[in-house]
Amino acid sequence: MDGKPVVLSSPSIRARAGSHPRWRGVAGAVIVLAYLAATWFVANASLSVQSLVLVAAVFGILAISLDLVAGMLGLYSLGQGGFFAIGAYLTTILAADTHISVFVLLAIVVAVSGAIGLVIGAMSLRVSGLYFAITTFIFTLVLTVLATDLQITGGTQGLLGPSFPDFPAALAPLGAPAAWCILLALLAAAGAVWSLRRSPLYPVLLAIRDAEPFAEAAGVRTSLIKICVFGLSAAMAGTAGWLFSFLGVVSPGQFDWAVSLNILVMVLVGGINTTLGPLVGAAFVTMFPAVVNINPWLQEIIYGTLSIFAITVFPEGVVGLIRRSLGGAAEASSRPAGRVAAGEKGVSEAGGLSALPAGADGAAHDVIVECRGIEFGYGTGPKALRNVDLVVRRGHIHGLIGPNGSGKSTLANVIAGRLSPMAGRIVVNGRQVDFLSPSSRARFGLRRTFQAAELVRELTTSENVAVGLYTQVPGVARRAAVWPLLPSGRRDSARLRDRADGALQSVEAGDWTQKRVGDVPHGIEQLTQLASVCVAGPDIIILDEPATGLSSTEVDHLARVLGQLKVRGVTMIIIEHQTRFLFPLCDEVTVLNAGEVILTGTADEVRANKTVRQVYLGE
Amino acid sequence: MRSGVDGGGPCGADLPAPLFGNSRGTVRRQAGKEVRALQFVLSGLAIGAVYGLIGMALGISFYVTRVINFAQGQIMMAAIMLTAAITASGYSAWLAVPVGLAGSCVIAVLSYFVAVRPILAFDRASFGWLVSTLGFAVVVENAAAYVWGPTSRAFPPILNGVSAHIAGAVLTGQQLLAIVVALLFAALFEVMRKRTLFGKLGVAIAADPEMASAVGANITVVAIVAFAISGFFSGVAGVLIGPSTFANPYLGNTYGTFGFIAMMIGGIERPVAAMFGGLLLGILSEGANALINSQASDWFPFLVLVLILILTPRGLFSAAAPFGRWRVPGFSRRG
Repeated sequence: MDGKPVVLSSPSIRARAGSHPRWRGVAGAVIVLAYLAATWFVANASLSVQSLVLVAAVFGILAISLDLVAGMLGLYSLGQGGFFAIGAYLTTILAADTHISVFVLLAIVVAVSGAIGLVIGAMSLRVSGLYFAITTFIFTLVLTVLATDLQITGGTQGLLGPSFPDFPAALAPLGAPAAWCILLALLAAAGAVWSLRRSPLYPVLLAIRDAEPFAEAAGVRTSLIKICVFGLSAAMAGTAGWLFSFLGVVSPGQFDWAVSLNILVMVLVGGINTTLGPLVGAAFVTMFPAVVNINPWLQEIIYGTLSIFAITVFPEGVVGLIRRSLGGAAEASSRPAGRVAAGEKGVSEAGGLSALPAGADGAAHDVIVECRGIEFGYGTGPKALRNVDLVVRRGHIHGLIGPNGSGKSTLANVIAGRLSPMAGRIVVNGRQVDFLSPSSRARFGLRRTFQAAELVRELTTSENVAVGLYTQVPGVARRAAVWPLLPSGRRDSARLRDRADGALQSVEAGDWTQKRVGDVPHGIEQLTQLASVCVAGPDIIILDEPATGLSSTEVDHLARVLGQLKVRGVTMIIIEHQTRFLFPLCDEVTVLNAGEVILTGTADEVRANKTVRQVYLGE
Repeated sequence: MRSGVDGGGPCGADLPAPLFGNSRGTVRRQAGKEVRALQFVLSGLAIGAVYGLIGMALGISFYVTRVINFAQGQIMMAAIMLTAAITASGYSAWLAVPVGLAGSCVIAVLSYFVAVRPILAFDRASFGWLVSTLGFAVVVENAAAYVWGPTSRAFPPILNGVSAHIAGAVLTGQQLLAIVVALLFAALFEVMRKRTLFGKLGVAIAADPEMASAVGANITVVAIVAFAISGFFSGVAGVLIGPSTFANPYLGNTYGTFGFIAMMIGGIERPVAAMFGGLLLGILSEGANALINSQASDWFPFLVLVLILILTPRGLFSAAAPFGRWRVPGFSRRG
């Protein structure tokens, strides 16, 4: 009960302290101390208060574990109840049968639920959206049925959970040890997710959620990350089950599918993808029946009405609403302050693109991309690519033109690895890449942009560009849970910001570094894509219709930026319809028609060619 | 969950004694086996028809709004409770049943306005509808419990007293009625979906509401009609099962869950697939009860569902319509 006010007051503290790291540290310490004081109070409170707060706290952990996958990865799991059950039953059964220490049991629970989470997470590679929700729903349903029907789980009666070991006598004044354990676990879970949100992994996770091809093209192993984060979330839910088993009886009704749905209700009502939202939602849902103590049916009616009201009136959840009306202003004023300064430094230090391997002059004319005999077809129908050969020389700008449907983007996808060809081979930078995933190719220096910008709309342009640097910072994922506490994390964050801002400046979009992508014009979106590609210092860039939808001044600007990149030695393959923009830039142009190469030559040769004039330039 | 399956068919009580005899001759036992199989298939079809109707109700509202209305089971319960309440006050079932059905239609349309429309207006891709339809289900269920009390009430027997013998198997008239009515409604709906403008509008709106309204479709009207039809289907399911379950405000969850499973087995894209899914589910449940043990229907259908979802995540009877971000390796949506 007293956990709530502390929790609710913290955003304002953080917002005010935002600009000074020292004050931020003090505020953090104050919050943690207040939390510990509240924990001490709960641990010494009456049993009824304790059970109210502790149940809310366990569900808080569950809600956080769900928010981790639903909010950041878009995987709406209804399996949290299942992992919760696995944790609780495993603890209860093993504690009764084997007398293993409960702390060893915790390790077992984390391992088992995490491992099952990895398996379920792997399914998210096949299905997502509603189907993922339904698949995980069935998982919970099956576990509940098993728990009801098996002998070992005690049927509908359930089993009595183990008791938590007592404190040593010296620590007795601290109160109930289980309360400490649960509330500290909640603090740890909330702290880990809070840190994760401040780590460079966060933009990457959102990129996987909203723009997976973009994340892959930035070299992120999206499948691996999805599976691992889901496993982590499952382990958290399992831990919640371990904690729950100390609160009394463990029975199937406490884990059925309705519980999984309720956890999602907590997250959505509180505010998805916020640190405090899941806690507020968990407190609302679990404490409501105890606090509003009237006729049970009326109470349920009010609960139902309130949850409909909450989700229809505040679709972003309670915390989402508070953040937008209150925190939005504070965040906007505090954040850029630190970053603009850092950005200026970035220009001089990183020089935007100086990290590029400015190809040695001697090797300037060797082949960097070589495609031989590429065949590709989309299911039935004629092949989209037939025996396509493409040779791109190092340091060149290579144009790729052709009428709509001639296979340009398909070829780009084949080279970048999003499509695997039926025949033929591709050599990039002297390495045969046929069997490599898009993310591995990106790690070998091949980056690309997309025709329709694939970016995370709720993040700033600078944060989007930083996704492009993910592969160049070692151990981000490993450090993410404690990121802001680590000096190395803070250092790396600053460096990433500098380089991202520098890259945006080098494409002359430096004024937009703190704007959300959802709020910038289309041209800036395209430049952000370009910056996110350039920032990693790639050898080859594939640009898929970069000038589409740009105004003529923006096109000129883009041409200038690409010219500068070429000077730095970057090889580019550009798909484009606007020949007036493309031809002056290109060293060579390949013309595709109906999946076949018609001609490769200089811009002048292409312009002079009769067939090209017929099929493409329309003469 | 249990209560629904146990209440699913009154077959257990009505079965002729020889079926359970174990001291018969080989020939008799052989015949008994066949009759037993026929018996569980038929009673499975009867209960499956009810699951299928609820599954179709879920599917009908889904195919227009892309929202799974978790209150569907409660809407079915509302039809049962209304019918029971009206007959209890002395009116004939001929009046009570249409009023009950009308009531479920109204509540379904209400659920659209209260729980679905505001959510879709904000963000079609969010999962907010899950909270609001569940909230609606809670409100309907507890309102019924508050008004009528939590205990079971009598429901007009309709055809429950009649029994029909089919090649040795015995069904109640109500069970036969369920099979006939469900198949009839499923066929009618499919004809309407395929042959009428309204049906095509539904498909168009599901695929792209902005485009559909750009070519002149009134999304709201189509959605209201679809929800009314889904409420009607749920109500019909309620009237068909009511005589064996009696009227209880907590029926909604059980039947909602089984209807949902029926829809998942069949496939979410075509409402009529849910009917096939429901019939299959009914036969599997009754078969599991008859062949494994009397509790097997608690877990066997789920096992089947898991296998189906692993093999064909889009359901057994679905047409190949793209849904969810389904990705085939090596295939990109953007050409």
